[in-house]
Amino acid sequence: MIWFLKKHQKNLKLNKINKFTSHFILILFSLIIFLPIIWLLRVALTNKVTAYKIPPEWATLNLNNFTEIFTNNSFTNYFINSVIVSIGSTAIALPIAASMAYAFSRYNTGGSLLRIIVLSTQLLPPVIIVLPLFTLYLKINLLNSITGLILAHVTISLPFLAWILISFFEGNVIYLEQAARVDGASRLQAFLYIAIPVSSPGLIAAGLLAFILSWNEFILALILSGPQTNTIPVGLSSFQSHRGVDIAPLAAATIFSIIPVFLLLPFIKKYLISGLSLGALK
Amino acid sequence: MKKLIILSTIFAFLYTSHLHAKTIRILMETVPDTRYLQELLPEFEQQTGIKVEIEAIGYVDMHTKLVPQLIAPQGSYDLIVVDFYWVGEFTKAKWLMPLDDLVKRDNINVNRYIPALMNLVGRVDGTIYMLPFYNYSMAMVYRKDLINDPNEKANFKAQTGFDLKVPTNWSEYWKQVEFFTRDKDNDGKNDFFGTVIQGQRGDCIAMHWSNFLYAQGGRYNANNGEPLLNSAAAISAMAYYKEAIAKYSPEGSASYCFDEAFNIVAQGNAYSLTTFNIMYAGFDDPKSSSVVGKIGIAPNPGGGLNGAWGWAIPNSSTQKEEAWNFIKWAESYKIAKKRAMLGGAPTQSKIFNDPDILRERPYYPILGQVLAGAQEFPVFTYTTEFVEKVGRELNLAATGEKEIEEAMNAANKAYRKLLVKDGKL
Repeated sequence: MIWFLKKHQKNLKLNKINKFTSHFILILFSLIIFLPIIWLLRVALTNKVTAYKIPPEWATLNLNNFTEIFTNNSFTNYFINSVIVSIGSTAIALPIAASMAYAFSRYNTGGSLLRIIVLSTQLLPPVIIVLPLFTLYLKINLLNSITGLILAHVTISLPFLAWILISFFEGNVIYLEQAARVDGASRLQAFLYIAIPVSSPGLIAAGLLAFILSWNEFILALILSGPQTNTIPVGLSSFQSHRGVDIAPLAAATIFSIIPVFLLLPFIKKYLISGLSLGALK
Repeated sequence: MKKLIILSTIFAFLYTSHLHAKTIRILMETVPDTRYLQELLPEFEQQTGIKVEIEAIGYVDMHTKLVPQLIAPQGSYDLIVVDFYWVGEFTKAKWLMPLDDLVKRDNINVNRYIPALMNLVGRVDGTIYMLPFYNYSMAMVYRKDLINDPNEKANFKAQTGFDLKVPTNWSEYWKQVEFFTRDKDNDGKNDFFGTVIQGQRGDCIAMHWSNFLYAQGGRYNANNGEPLLNSAAAISAMAYYKEAIAKYSPEGSASYCFDEAFNIVAQGNAYSLTTFNIMYAGFDDPKSSSVVGKIGIAPNPGGGLNGAWGWAIPNSSTQKEEAWNFIKWAESYKIAKKRAMLGGAPTQSKIFNDPDILRERPYYPILGQVLAGAQEFPVFTYTTEFVEKVGRELNLAATGEKEIEEAMNAANKAYRKLLVKDGKL
């Protein structure tokens, strides 16, 4: 009995040491990722002269930079534009991508050739398509417009989303659809009422990806937008000029620009990770 | 009823006139000079009825944004500002409208501009394509509190045998750089530096090192156009540059650019820096500097690098006359003076001697000297490619990755190749 208790104690101690060690290593690696963001937050709460002080000063922290970016800068505009463009392009791309993925999965539309063509568009960096898009937009008066930017973002996210969603429609949902068809549902009804709800984790994951892709997109926004339609990435680049980098307001603007993605974190954790891995099972 | 119809017609006319009021669009850089101009815009709009929309973006993105607009038969911008780097490329590609006829028609006196700036961002091969907007020629900033300190003066005299004053030649300046590099906290490592090098590969080192070249009496080209990057002066300039990185500049300065170097001086950790004269005002801003009131400005020994932006009307503009009206207004003496009073970097000679401006900015005569002595950087079709290739070799030499002579010969060869490609040789 005593031997058993002693062994149990020893195991407990080992477990605690293991736990402590593993947590310590995880915290260390997490700091590598989090420290730059914490540093960025610190710079956002100081001014330029304090931001560059070594050793760092922590005493005089304030919200002046956040006030400045919204009053002296067009940051409010950039933020609103980014929200509209990201949500708009996601809302358009997702249903079309879902329909494309369903067609590829159920009907093998275009065979593997079409799938490869769709995927191959992802090999083109945005800088390749921006000039033809610019010329086209100039002719049809879509330059410097939110609509134009939304459509441009749809073109870059749509193939990617369609490709991801194919595997979600090739899982067990096929059997559920067949059962629904036997019960008298049409193809469209099976798609809308069976395939879409069952594949919702994948759809949400794809939607999150599309949002983040659009939120961070720079080159299309730079070339195709104007002063009233610039998005956050373009706005952030304006803090660097020949007179140097406005590091403190830039840090404040950067912190603010990652807030939406930060707010999506619970959903990213819940749907993106599980959704993407779910699609790997067939 | 008749009155109602007449009134309605007048109202509709006025309303639609407002809707169809001309608007010119200008692409500019996010610098204070743009902000000062934006403050004065209501005056132009009131005078002419033309609305102005200024789109200001960061320098790094301007070229990328501009080129599609300039290539298109009809672009979105009626007026642009052109960095001297791009002058050769834009004029060779015939993207800019020549302004000679308009200058002659409206009797614009281009001699009001500082000649070095008119040659840089004004005339190209005898044709006027631009009018200078603002300058960023390079000058030396230094700690005037240290130079005027009696103890420092006494120590400098004892150590070197020379008086400590604003340096006017290279030898004098280098003694000061050596003198002021010191270990203030006695921990065995220097923590105060005589100068700050901006050795980052590409644009940063190319522009900064040029000042070392001019100080040695060197130039980029001989009178016949042949490149001189492997001349004795160029090699001597690189030797000083390398020595500065090794001994008199902060660790890591081989990868610094202008902003990092500014911050070293602004934190009170260096005696001097050669930088754009437009950075000078930042040293007196408590939000970005801890050496407020302690920084002086002087011409770089041998002359500093000339730099400027110019107004240009793209051939793709659909409102060229309105754009020209804006240039005339922005460059009128009245508005140029107002911009200078707000803190802008002027390009017209008379402004540097204006009594009102001298009252606000007493250092302007020195800036006038800086501009008068500014030296040319190679401006041709392939300037951007030149900066990349030569900047690479300069960095390799400065960091010791290549022997100085080998790197300067490689730089000279690369430069010559580009000159031949451009038809200059």
